[in-house]
Amino acid sequence: MQTYEEIFARIRATLVELFELSPQDVRPDARLLEDLEIDSIDVVDLMDHVRRFTGKKVTATDFRSVRTVDDLTQVVQRLLSS
Amino acid sequence: MVAEPKTIAQAAGVEFTGRRLDAFYWRFVATALSFAVFGCTALLLSVTVLPLLRLLPRQRCQRYSRIVMQRGMRAFIGVMCGLGAMTYEVHAAERLGRPGQLIAANHPSLIDVIFLIAFTPQANCVVKQATFRSLLTGSVVRGAGYIGNGGQSLIMFPEGTRTRPGQPMTLHRGAANIAVRSAAIVTPVYIGCVPTTLTKSEPWYRIPSRRPHFTVRVGEDFELDAFRGMASIPLASRAFNECLRERFEGQLPALNGYTCAQKRTAGGG
Repeated sequence: MQTYEEIFARIRATLVELFELSPQDVRPDARLLEDLEIDSIDVVDLMDHVRRFTGKKVTATDFRSVRTVDDLTQVVQRLLSS
Repeated sequence: MVAEPKTIAQAAGVEFTGRRLDAFYWRFVATALSFAVFGCTALLLSVTVLPLLRLLPRQRCQRYSRIVMQRGMRAFIGVMCGLGAMTYEVHAAERLGRPGQLIAANHPSLIDVIFLIAFTPQANCVVKQATFRSLLTGSVVRGAGYIGNGGQSLIMFPEGTRTRPGQPMTLHRGAANIAVRSAAIVTPVYIGCVPTTLTKSEPWYRIPSRRPHFTVRVGEDFELDAFRGMASIPLASRAFNECLRERFEGQLPALNGYTCAQKRTAGGG
């Protein structure tokens, strides 16, 4: 699972499952807080999920500048290729 | 001690004649005096009793600071009533103060936290940053160890700040998250204030045309098992938040005469 599209699909599935979102709302430009109502406490749970499916250590700094689903996908892509 | 309103309009403080009731001018003095008493007492405690308590080991400091806070708040309520600034009633207060309890209350007025602290033994409280940093309240809340940890009762206002009058409540998920993750018991407290006073939209000197009456009703505990069994914690906290909203929307109108939205149209704003 290395291409952007594959990672994005996996992230979308995770967000849909974790937060009961509809798949069509999870677009790359969707903002986590304003559009998807994912607040900072939810992000902690999200980070835990990302840690589990990447098998990599995830820190708060990795997530600090994540605002949109695209940002999130890029962070995960970076983690997987490190 | 219960002030029985004659009509819903009067209960909401809407006076068509513009008459000022219940010794309006004295109440203005009484309200100003109450603020002064609160300020002076807080200052006095901050420079005498509470610094002495800080010399004790942390657990004891917290324990005694909270006793001081509770007694002080109780006395202050007595002062406000004695001066005639307000009246109040409390229901089922014996249910407050159980270990591991999360108390989730609505927040109509500046002084509703005073009721909760006065009636909850050994309470901890989540305060907003401004309170933590303020010269007046900062050292008091720090000595009492406010901002939670387990084994005590934790008071939270899910709204995070006072209700905006005339608007629906915004419940942030902080309280819901704590509830589903770590609370042993979650108890809602419904606070009503008729007519409203010391709200977010009014300066303190705009006192209401009638003497305000506070109602503090401790509600039934939430059933947490249903939420803890849900697929994920974020989902559980959202579901719990909705449940909390339903409870508040269901119970508050009875304490206030009617809902905020209705009050807007009935009173003309």
